[in-house]
Amino acid sequence: MRLLQVDRLSKHFGGVTAVNEVIFEIRQGEIVGLIGPNGAGKTTVFNLISGLLHPSQGRIYFGGKDITGLRPHQKSLLGIGRTFQIVRPFDGMTVLENVMVPTLVRHRNPQKAREMARGVLRDVGLDAFCEANPQNLPYAYRKRLEVARALATEPKLLLLDEVLAGLNSREVSEALPLIHRIRERGVTIFMIEHIMTALMSVSDRVLVLEQGELIAEGTPKEVTENPRVIKAYLGENVSIG
Amino acid sequence: MKQRHLLMALAAGLLVLPIFYSAPYFLHLVIMIFFYIALTEAWNILALCGKVSLGHAAFFGLAAYTSAILCIKKGVTPWIGLFPALLVTFIGAAALAIPLLRLRGPMFTLASIAFAEVLRRVAMVWRDLTAGAEGLTIPFVPGWQNLTFTTKIPYYYIFLILAAGSVYIVHRLYYSATGHHLRAIASDEEAAQALGINTQKTQLIALFWSAGITGLLGVFYTQYVYMIEPEWAFSSALFCLQPALNGIIGGLGTVWGPVIGSVLMTPLGEYLRSYLGALQQGLNFFVYGLVLIGVVMVLPGGIVSPLLSLFKRWTPSKAPALDQGGKVR
Amino acid sequence: MELFIQVLVSGLLLGGVYALLSVGLTLIFGVVRIINFAHGELMMMAMYLTYWLCQAHQIDPYLSVIIVAPALFLVGMGVQRFIIQPIFDSSALMKIFVTVGLFIALQNLALMLFKADFRTIQTSYAMSTLEVGGISISVPRLIAFCFALVLLGGLFMLLKLTLVGKAMRAVAENRVVAELMGIRVQRLYLITFGLGSAMTGIAGALLLPFTYVFPTVGAIYTLLAFVVVVLGGLGNMAGAFLGGLFIGLIESISGVYISPALKEAVYFVIFILTLLVRPQGLFGVGKGTEEVGLK
Repeated sequence: MRLLQVDRLSKHFGGVTAVNEVIFEIRQGEIVGLIGPNGAGKTTVFNLISGLLHPSQGRIYFGGKDITGLRPHQKSLLGIGRTFQIVRPFDGMTVLENVMVPTLVRHRNPQKAREMARGVLRDVGLDAFCEANPQNLPYAYRKRLEVARALATEPKLLLLDEVLAGLNSREVSEALPLIHRIRERGVTIFMIEHIMTALMSVSDRVLVLEQGELIAEGTPKEVTENPRVIKAYLGENVSIG
Repeated sequence: MKQRHLLMALAAGLLVLPIFYSAPYFLHLVIMIFFYIALTEAWNILALCGKVSLGHAAFFGLAAYTSAILCIKKGVTPWIGLFPALLVTFIGAAALAIPLLRLRGPMFTLASIAFAEVLRRVAMVWRDLTAGAEGLTIPFVPGWQNLTFTTKIPYYYIFLILAAGSVYIVHRLYYSATGHHLRAIASDEEAAQALGINTQKTQLIALFWSAGITGLLGVFYTQYVYMIEPEWAFSSALFCLQPALNGIIGGLGTVWGPVIGSVLMTPLGEYLRSYLGALQQGLNFFVYGLVLIGVVMVLPGGIVSPLLSLFKRWTPSKAPALDQGGKVR
Repeated sequence: MELFIQVLVSGLLLGGVYALLSVGLTLIFGVVRIINFAHGELMMMAMYLTYWLCQAHQIDPYLSVIIVAPALFLVGMGVQRFIIQPIFDSSALMKIFVTVGLFIALQNLALMLFKADFRTIQTSYAMSTLEVGGISISVPRLIAFCFALVLLGGLFMLLKLTLVGKAMRAVAENRVVAELMGIRVQRLYLITFGLGSAMTGIAGALLLPFTYVFPTVGAIYTLLAFVVVVLGGLGNMAGAFLGGLFIGLIESISGVYISPALKEAVYFVIFILTLLVRPQGLFGVGKGTEEVGLK
């Protein structure tokens, strides 16, 4: 079933075209990777899908519905969750309170919201840190908090923006099963990553963006053997995790 | 449970205080403390989402003038007059909200000052309605329907209720969904939106509570002092700076901060005004300014936060110890 | 018609001085990224200083600029060093409060020292006017305008041509990179604050011959400077200049055609309208505006 459909999506900033007539779709239950050299427009695509930016052209469909013009919070309520590349926990709030913020949107009763938040934190393995200050957590755990917050929005589609960046290889190998578990719960995942081996091992399909254009699409094997993709990455510092 | 008992004892004490000690100056001081507790809590609601308003006098003045004009010119009792007063205040709040809530930080503050200033000048110039700079006087006809009394005691209870009510409202708000969302918005508005929070609507709710309580205070305070004039009603020092000062000193964005701040600063303010102000005009506010600078530099969290962290919740990382590999020991 | 041109001319001349005041503010904001609620107080201090120099020592206001400018430069540096720098890394909220505290303290210090009286100075040429084509141009305003233009031109050249000016522009553009390039940012902040304050101070000295100084005058000028700067585009120098002229015109026109009592209300309304309709200002913003919600 087509969950997300992106039709001729473009974004111009003044004279610069960040995203150029991109067309793709994501089916329910998939884990789709999005790769490309730096500056290819990956985060811009995420911003367009999640509503932080308005497309210059093109349309976005979610579950068959046209969501192109909707604002970020409306898209979140429809079931699109996202994490940010640079983690942004709310300051002045504990880990638990951070995750309660989204659960309170969907469950106004603070008691219920707190339970749901604890549940999510348990799923990502952070429930020991409920009362902690996010600033005091190790980086890897702050990234998990970011994921927990997004999961707490009960998304159908989860946009993960470089969720593995900055993690060492052991932390990465701990995070991958988490991504699988998220899919098993019925969440479709669309993820931007630079750590190739990790991404290839977890994705069903991979999309490749270069300078705003979709240059390749296919299984991880197909994509890594694609000459155009290899050319785009030549000279690029790719982390072989 | 201990906290509950403490509060109840305090409430009981406050309720019977005037019976034991009713010197007018003392009552006036306590009334002013109650007034500022309520006003600071109201201001605090907006400060929760990171919007520092220095123009709250606008809401105060709008409500105060509406009720005063209706009372003087049409003989409407303020008990009824407070409804149109609140309506006018909400209209003013809506006018402020739509364009200005999307501003952040200092720009919002400036805009709020501009807003109050415009209203002040309009009040000065619109003589037919407001009698301009001379102001209006509430006729002194004692009785509950006119909200004017011969002693201060009824006012004591009225402002006590307003103060307690506003603390209660802020307390409920703080722990509600809206409260958490406001704090999230204050921290990172974009992230809040990405999580499904309608930031505009949430901030609007905060604004309406804040403006509403302030407006209510405007109505009652005018009846207490019997008069109203633009310079004073829309005055930024009394109704904008003072609550901000109380709020910061007590602790921004906490429930009890405004209470502590008001309890500390109001008598101090009165003392400063009567002794220092008499000595040299402006000396009391000069000291205020220095105090504000000092507090920001030394104790930016106010007094409440350090105290609070001695009691409960916000202790630095109750996280279990981690070993080198990040595994829980 | 003649009246209208008269009003226009006086407005423009006034606008030149307002431009000076506002460029000072926008320079400081552009580089140091602080919104100083006590900016008008700098103007007030300069005006009182000029007043005192004139009354007590018979120094002509335009000459006293030689003293006022360096004095305000030092004051500006002092504010940056002792008040802003210590809390530079705190939240925006704290920065607001510290400058508001400064504003209250300074305003009331003036009240204590000078009382609430309105003061101005009378120079021999204060009342003199030039007749040009049926329009009378007030000489003090003309001198102020020309002075302001010269100074603004000088600032422009400083920013464009000198090392210090380029360093300022670099820091305004991207503080982190500028620092990595070797620019001593803290020292630059001091210089910028000093320079912006000096310009504001000069504006005060220029204004005194044809306006009054009183303790609360600072608040009015602070708001005015912000109106201009937002109108012209925060961080945008040329915008601040044109904005200053525009506000001078508006003040003059509304003073005559609407009501002198409401002239300030008019520009506050313009302020709110600008924030409503075009928050980036008429001429577009410089950097650093995302943090304050103007985009």
